[in-house]
Amino acid sequence: MIWQPLLLSLQVTALAAALLFVGGLSLALLLARGRFPGRTLLETVVLLPLLLPPSVVGFYLLVALGRGSPLVEWLGVELLFTWPAAVIAATVVGLPLMVQTARAAIASVDPALEDAGRTLGSTEAGIFFRITLPLAWRGILAGLVLGAARAMGEFGATLMVAGNIPGRTQTMPLAIYDAVQGGQHALANQMVLVMTALALLSLWWVRRLERKAREARDRGSWAPSLGDGP
Amino acid sequence: MTATRLRVDVQQRVSPGFRLDVRLEVGAETVVLFGPSGAGKTTTLNAVAGLVTPDEGEVLMDGRAFFRRRRPGLAVNLPARQRRVGYVFQQYLLFPHLTALDNVAYSLRGRKDARPRALALLDRMHLAHLAQRYPAQLSGGQQQRVAIARALASESPMLLLDEPFSALEAELRTRLQQELKELQRELGLVVLYVTHRLEDAFAIGDRLAVLREGRVEQIGRTEEVFRNPASQQVAEVMGIPNLFHARVVRSSSEGAVLDWDGLALAAPPHPAGAGAMVAAYIRPEEIRLLYPDRPVTPPVTHNQVAGRIVGGHFDAAFRTLRVRLPNGHEVEARFPTTSYLALQLEPGAEVYLSLRKEGLVVLGVPLPPLARQQGREPR
Repeated sequence: MIWQPLLLSLQVTALAAALLFVGGLSLALLLARGRFPGRTLLETVVLLPLLLPPSVVGFYLLVALGRGSPLVEWLGVELLFTWPAAVIAATVVGLPLMVQTARAAIASVDPALEDAGRTLGSTEAGIFFRITLPLAWRGILAGLVLGAARAMGEFGATLMVAGNIPGRTQTMPLAIYDAVQGGQHALANQMVLVMTALALLSLWWVRRLERKAREARDRGSWAPSLGDGP
Repeated sequence: MTATRLRVDVQQRVSPGFRLDVRLEVGAETVVLFGPSGAGKTTTLNAVAGLVTPDEGEVLMDGRAFFRRRRPGLAVNLPARQRRVGYVFQQYLLFPHLTALDNVAYSLRGRKDARPRALALLDRMHLAHLAQRYPAQLSGGQQQRVAIARALASESPMLLLDEPFSALEAELRTRLQQELKELQRELGLVVLYVTHRLEDAFAIGDRLAVLREGRVEQIGRTEEVFRNPASQQVAEVMGIPNLFHARVVRSSSEGAVLDWDGLALAAPPHPAGAGAMVAAYIRPEEIRLLYPDRPVTPPVTHNQVAGRIVGGHFDAAFRTLRVRLPNGHEVEARFPTTSYLALQLEPGAEVYLSLRKEGLVVLGVPLPPLARQQGREPR
């Protein structure tokens, strides 16, 4: 019984990570480099799920994904109580971590370097892919790992918008809740261990990325740190 | 100056207390932008490169509008990538994640000859052997040279250099300045060279533009501006010592007589009439020491005055003395260390000076046409 929720969790997390990468990176770039009215408001909205109770996030998502909402009308598909709803819930709660971390990484790239790229004929896209991204990728990846780890552990909002249907929308956190409620302690133990291990692994990876990024910044270079230096 | 290729006429309120208002016309030549920090030199380069947007004005290169914004009329503001001027930044701004070679080849992306071209440019900068090094593995001077090679790679007809050789030792600086000069002539480049070192201006500049508080105070042939600063401000910016204010006592075609707080000084002819206050200076090399026991020869017969040494210093080649004159002011005198060995030149000692009449420069002189063509216009 552990495989079904685990696979679903991985599937939901993978898709949420893809959405986090595209959406979160765009938002991070916008917030780090953009100058526009309403920037603070946008930032606040993005960060809000970090502090709101999961049930409140779930409630907003219920409204946004419920029958008659513009989004559902436009898409023309029913989302509530399907696994894609779990993906959306996971993305929303993972977004603050992704955006915060990636934004800091992008902001740490000297804008003057990007100016240098402009005088050398680069388009804005060229500057992003040839200068900003290579210099900030570790921080961006760290944000993605954090966001995805948070997405994987999503419980409350998922319960409200995707339900807890075994085999269809029951992810690991929900399955653990069910197992504990049903007195299946051995199963609960297994799943708790898997989740803890994944969280630990994510944190270790994030720390490692952050340390490497800091070292690179301190050296001012992506050069090999030993051996062939002057 | 050769035919104008770059025309800059930009105004910008940079901060509440600082307004940039720069007008410049540059041909295929090196114009040195000289001035204290905060004079607007770098902002001027940024406005030409397209990294800052002036409030109004225009930047034209070979007749093509990089920027144009006047109250009425169309606005043009080409993005920096379309202006593609070669720009050597003061902080080098090499891409830290790329090797020296990849930095130079950055603008050559997609060209088949990108690598050999980049390598040739590095070679020109005497850096071919360091092509695979990352910026952090290079010294400051090496990084500067990579930055120059990178700016040259885009084959722009215009080169902007912001204190490009500041991190180099004298010998290398001289060599690279020489090469830059050759390069400028060879390719007919339009070069704007920002520096706060007067030596650089003499070494590389065809013309010198003195910037102060966001304005071009004077522009002209380097020698000309140095000999004939248009105003006291220019003289101060250029760090000319022995600057003073005096009243014109007499003025004729033979020469003028100045009264510097009680010290009468013979000066070359000057259009200012009697009674006018003028700023004047005498270069330290133009102040000669006199031997009290020898006859005075014609070049130093004017403006003899006794003074007391109050200080000084010397290096390998020159000795500089600070001398207090009877009028209470101090002047600097400078001469080769091998001169005046017979004289007692310790602080406190009395010396006899001649402030050479021919070396006395009264400022505010109407300038000869060449130096004046871009001079300050009344607004």
